[in-house]
Amino acid sequence: MTEVTTIYNVAYGEALGIPIAVYFYLTGLSAGSFILSTLAYGFGMIRYKPLGKIGVVVAILLLIVAPLNLMIDLEQPWRFWELFYYINPTSAISYGSFLLTLYPINCMIYGTFMFMGKAKLTKIFGLIGIPLALSVHGYTGFILALAKARILWNTALMPFIFLASAMVSGIAMMILIAIARDKFFSAERKINMDLINGLVVMLIVSIVADLSLIGTDILVLLNSHDEAYEAAQLILTGAFRNIFLGGEILLGALVPLALLSNRITRTPFGISVASVLVMLGIFAMRYTMVIGGQAIPQH
Amino acid sequence: MKGNGSQKKSKRYAMLIDLRRCLGCHSCAVACKSENDVPLGVYRTWVKTVEKGSYPNVRRVFIPSLCNNCERPACLSVCPVKATYRRPDGIVMIDEHRCIGCKYCMAACPYDARHVNPVKKIVQKCTFCFHRVDAGLVPSCVNTCPGGARVFGDVNDPESEISRLIATNAIQVLKPEKGTEPRVFYIGLDEMAAKTRVEEA
Repeated sequence: MTEVTTIYNVAYGEALGIPIAVYFYLTGLSAGSFILSTLAYGFGMIRYKPLGKIGVVVAILLLIVAPLNLMIDLEQPWRFWELFYYINPTSAISYGSFLLTLYPINCMIYGTFMFMGKAKLTKIFGLIGIPLALSVHGYTGFILALAKARILWNTALMPFIFLASAMVSGIAMMILIAIARDKFFSAERKINMDLINGLVVMLIVSIVADLSLIGTDILVLLNSHDEAYEAAQLILTGAFRNIFLGGEILLGALVPLALLSNRITRTPFGISVASVLVMLGIFAMRYTMVIGGQAIPQH
Repeated sequence: MKGNGSQKKSKRYAMLIDLRRCLGCHSCAVACKSENDVPLGVYRTWVKTVEKGSYPNVRRVFIPSLCNNCERPACLSVCPVKATYRRPDGIVMIDEHRCIGCKYCMAACPYDARHVNPVKKIVQKCTFCFHRVDAGLVPSCVNTCPGGARVFGDVNDPESEISRLIATNAIQVLKPEKGTEPRVFYIGLDEMAAKTRVEEA
């Protein structure tokens, strides 16, 4: 084939950097832990009651830290207030700013009623919080999906991939928190295995769902137009192979699945190792998506 | 783009680059830098240079690149504060006092036409030299091009030079599949060369 070589061109590299990947990661953890917190207080699943209070506290703390990453990434951080004044309904960042405000406020109301012991009001705000938590993380998927230039982002699956990965990382984090609390801070020093086993089942289901979505995405990329094929090659054989296949898929999903799904390794230690790997794997996913998605120059 | 001589339409500015006339001298890039005070390291227009074939069957291809001032700009719909807007004459503008520098537009642009101004800390791009156009002049790159490769004008005026050239030549745009409807047209655009990218280090 005729040789074609670029002699001179201008390329600026990625527009959205690591702080954005960190932001997506923290929002996902927050949404995941909030949803786990509502299992007992919103849906009456008593088994998960120990996660209620800690879940909402973690969700609020993460959601206070997460938007700071967005501000850091702005070239004009002190103009952030404009997001609430000049509104563009077609921009995911524009409506996301309101979600990012409403969601932590609702979390705080929900948490306050929970700590006051008002079961009925807690339930109401817990249930209001679920669509908010889903949209606050779903919208971050839309941020990527609606940037039409980037082929790795521009898929209708993106918001759902983000929701699945939020649940995966959120559950893993809550498992670690629950184990650490029982082991080091409880009076009996005894791990509540009933709770942990329930979470492990949820984690397995979420990982399988996440893997299925990612598999579907890649399969379609491989069989779509030239640019899509190039994007799939980038993460399967190219520069992002190690972090995607090695980090996200192997260490972040397959090894934890193996650890969690057999009796020998399903000990508190094995589950903790699996959860740490899952959390790192989801960060690898955020990195691959945000940075890898922009690694192919536009011209 | 529909020719309708009897109806008076508003202006729609566009550029046509006749690649048969491009020498690859980069004068456009230099003129743009000087006209628009573009800082070091960033460009509003540049001449992508590609080499095709191997000796003795070889050819250099020049593709002057700039913001396409699209009819359906990907950058416009994603700007969270509406700092990017379109003038009635079609020029896509950035309000530099409003831009928060989130760079979402840069991620969404399929042409890498936008950059962060490292001095002003906002996103900038080619504006078809709107300040010159408003004064009745052509953009600086058009003015300076020694080969006369760049033609600027109103595509809603069927008598304009650009309309005449579009009507009577085979016309290409960059990445038509993105649905952005670019308003920078090319004559003699080599798709193979246009698709070749710089791989990032």
